[in-house]
Amino acid sequence: MGWVGPGGMSRRQVLRSLGAAALAAPAAGSLAACGGSGSGDSSSLDLVYLGDATQQEAFNALFAEFNKSRPKVKIKARGIAAETWGNFANTVSTQIAGGKVPDIVQVATEGQRLFASKSLLEPLDPYLDRDRKVVEDYFGDTDPKLKEWTETYGSTDGKTYFIPGGYNTSVLYCSTKVFADAGVDLPEDGWTWDDFRAAGERIKSRTGAFLLPAGFAFPFLDIMPWLLTNGASTHNAAWDEATFDSPAAVEAAEFVKGLIDDGLSPKPGGDFNAAAQVQKGRLATFGAGRWATLDMRRLKLTDSVRIVPWPSNAEPGASVGWDGWPILRASKNKDAAWEFLKWMMSKEASAFYASAGGTNIPARNSVAASPAFTDDAPAGTENLPAALGYGTPIPSPERGAEAQAAITQGWQAAITGNQSAEEALGSANGKLSGLL
Amino acid sequence: MTLTQARPKRAAAPREKARGGGRFRRGEWVGYAFLSPALLLFLAFVAGPFVVAIVLAFFSWDMLTPAEFNGVGNFTEMFSDPLLYTALANTFVFAFASVVTHLGGGLLLAMGVNRMMNRALSYFVRTTLFFPFVISWAAVALLWKYVLDPTFGLVTHYAGEIGVQPPEWFTDPAWALPAIIAIDFWHTIGFTFVIMLAGLQTVPRELHEAARVDGARPYQVFWRVTLPMMSPTIFFAAVVTFIGAFQIFDPVQIITPDGGPDDSTITIVMYLYQKGFQSFQIGYAAAVSILVFVIMMAVTLLQFWGSRKWVHQQ
Repeated sequence: MGWVGPGGMSRRQVLRSLGAAALAAPAAGSLAACGGSGSGDSSSLDLVYLGDATQQEAFNALFAEFNKSRPKVKIKARGIAAETWGNFANTVSTQIAGGKVPDIVQVATEGQRLFASKSLLEPLDPYLDRDRKVVEDYFGDTDPKLKEWTETYGSTDGKTYFIPGGYNTSVLYCSTKVFADAGVDLPEDGWTWDDFRAAGERIKSRTGAFLLPAGFAFPFLDIMPWLLTNGASTHNAAWDEATFDSPAAVEAAEFVKGLIDDGLSPKPGGDFNAAAQVQKGRLATFGAGRWATLDMRRLKLTDSVRIVPWPSNAEPGASVGWDGWPILRASKNKDAAWEFLKWMMSKEASAFYASAGGTNIPARNSVAASPAFTDDAPAGTENLPAALGYGTPIPSPERGAEAQAAITQGWQAAITGNQSAEEALGSANGKLSGLL
Repeated sequence: MTLTQARPKRAAAPREKARGGGRFRRGEWVGYAFLSPALLLFLAFVAGPFVVAIVLAFFSWDMLTPAEFNGVGNFTEMFSDPLLYTALANTFVFAFASVVTHLGGGLLLAMGVNRMMNRALSYFVRTTLFFPFVISWAAVALLWKYVLDPTFGLVTHYAGEIGVQPPEWFTDPAWALPAIIAIDFWHTIGFTFVIMLAGLQTVPRELHEAARVDGARPYQVFWRVTLPMMSPTIFFAAVVTFIGAFQIFDPVQIITPDGGPDDSTITIVMYLYQKGFQSFQIGYAAAVSILVFVIMMAVTLLQFWGSRKWVHQQ
C-alpha cells in the first residue's frame, strides 16, 4: 500500500530498486498482449506487489486483515522479492506470458502513465461513482495534490485508472550526535544551501565526518532534490519538454560537485551503507524517504537522528512519488478487486499498514499524523508528509528508463568533473529531448 | 569386390523389416529415447527461442501492443546507432583482455600448482583459486563495489596508508572498463586454472624426461614439449573464455549501470538489455541478438580455422 521505498532494504538497494521503476509498467503491460485473466474464480483475487521478506511480512499481515473483514474474497498475493522495479516487471511479465494474469498490480509513479496509455487498465470511474461515500471520505482525508497528480499523470484520456496509495518524499535524516559533537544546531524551520555547506565545513573540521553522500544513480534522492530546491527540474510540469540544462540545474550540479571537491561528501562511484556510517559517526546526513525509518529502527537509531527538510537555494523542494493501484482490464474478478481497493482506502487499512511496518507515508492525513505513523520514528517525522505540500512529482515520461539513464549519466559526468556541468547537462538534455 | 560387399547389405533389409525394425533399428529407437529429453529441452529453450528471435528481428514490438512487420528496419536502425559501435568496441576490448589474461594467468597458475610437492598445500591453493568462481556475479559485483569504494573502500584505505591515491575506479571513463576486466579475472580465473591444470597433468612425463636427456633447457621443454601438448587445452580454454567474455553483463550492469561514465563500460549484451527491457524495443533487441550470434559464430569459426596451424592433435 503506498508508493514504495522498499522497506527493509539498504539505501543502496532502494536506489537500485527505484531507479528502474519505469520498467514496471511496460512489463505488466505485456499482460494485455497475453490475454485474459488466469484465475476466473470470483472469490479469489490475484495480486502482485514488490516486496522482500520484510515487506512481505507487512503485506501478508495487511491481506490477512482484509480477509478478516471480507472472508469471501480470498487474496492470492504474490510478493516478488525483486531487487529492482525492472526485475519485478520482468518477473511479472514472464508470469503473465505463462498465463498468470493478476487482477491487481502495484504500479509506481514512474509506470503509471505508460500503463494507462496502453489500454491495459479498467476505468475506475463507475466504481468511484457507485461508492461515492467511501471515495469522498478517502479523498477528503488526503492532500488534494495526490488526487490531482494521479489524474494528471496516471491517465491519458481523462478516465481514472489508479487509486493513489501511500507516497514518499525526499528529506534529510540527520545524526543529532554528529551535529552536537560539531556544535552545529539543526535547523528548526528549514535551511539554505549556504547554511548546509557551512554546517558541513564545521562538522568536517571538528569531527571528520562527511556531510552527505553525493550520488547519481537514484534521481529521486541524488538529483531531483537539488534541482527542485533551486527551482529547476529535468522536465517541465507537463513532462513534454526537457529542462535539464537550465542555468539553475547547472548551478545545482556545481554546488554538489563543490561538496565532493571540498571533501564534504564522499566520492561517488562505490558502495557503502549510509545508515551504518551514521551509526559510526562518520556521516552527518543522508537523503531518504520513509523507508529509512525502518533502517533506523533496526539499528536502534531512531532517537539519535532527526528528519529535516532538504536545504534550499531558490525555494523549498522535494521529489514525490506514490503508488497507484489499478484493476486490470483482463481481470475476471473486477468486483472483488474493487472491494479490495475500497478497503485499502479505509482508515483501518491505512493505519494497520503504517503500524505493521509500511515503507511509505499513508495517503490519509489523519493516519500520517497518528501514532500509527509517528511512533518509534525519528523526531521530525512530520516533515515527511509536510514535504508533499511543496514537493514535485518525479518526472516520469513514457520512455522513463531511457530518460533516467540520460539523467544519471549527465549528472555523474557533471559532479565527478568528467565534463563541465554545463556541457554534461547540455548533452543529457539533448538526449532527453530526443526521447520526448 | 564392390558387388560382393553390396549384396549382403541389400539382403539384410527385409530381415530387419521382418523383425519389426521399420525405419529404425531397435537399437536406434533406444538411442533416440535416451536423447529425447535433452532434444526436447534444446528445442524448447534453445532452438525455439532462436527461431522466434530471428522472426522478431523483422518486427516492431513493445510487448504492449501487437507486433508490426518492420522488414529490415531494425537492422538499418541498429547499424546507424553510434552507441552500438561503442558497445561492440568495449565488448571486443573486454573479450580480448579476458582471453589473454585468463590464458596467461591460468597457465602460469596451473604450472605453479602442478610443481607443488606438498599435496595438502596444492589442494588448498586449488580450492582457494577456484573459490571465487562459485560466488554469484551479483555478490562479486557488490563486494568489489565496497572494496573499491573511493572513500570507504579497503583498497582506498590501504593505498592511502602508503601514500598512494588510487583512481576513481568506476566513475573515471579511463578506469571503469579496466577495473571490470580485473574483477572478471579475479572471479573466473579459477575455471581457466582448473582446465589448464587438467591439461597439464595429461602431458606424459616421459616426454619431459626425454627432452631433458636430449639436453633441452627448461624453457625449451616448456616451449617445445609442454605448450604443444597443452595446445588442445589452451584452444578449448580460448574458445570458452571468448564466448563467456563476449556475453559479459551482470557485473557491468551492477557496478556501472546505464553504461558507466561516458558509456565506457557498455557492452553489447548490456546494449541489448537496454533496448529490450528498458526501451521495450523487443524486435530491435532481437536484431541485436542475431548480430551477437553472428559475431560469436564468426570468431569461433575463425578460432577453429586458426587452430589447424597451432593446435597439436595427438
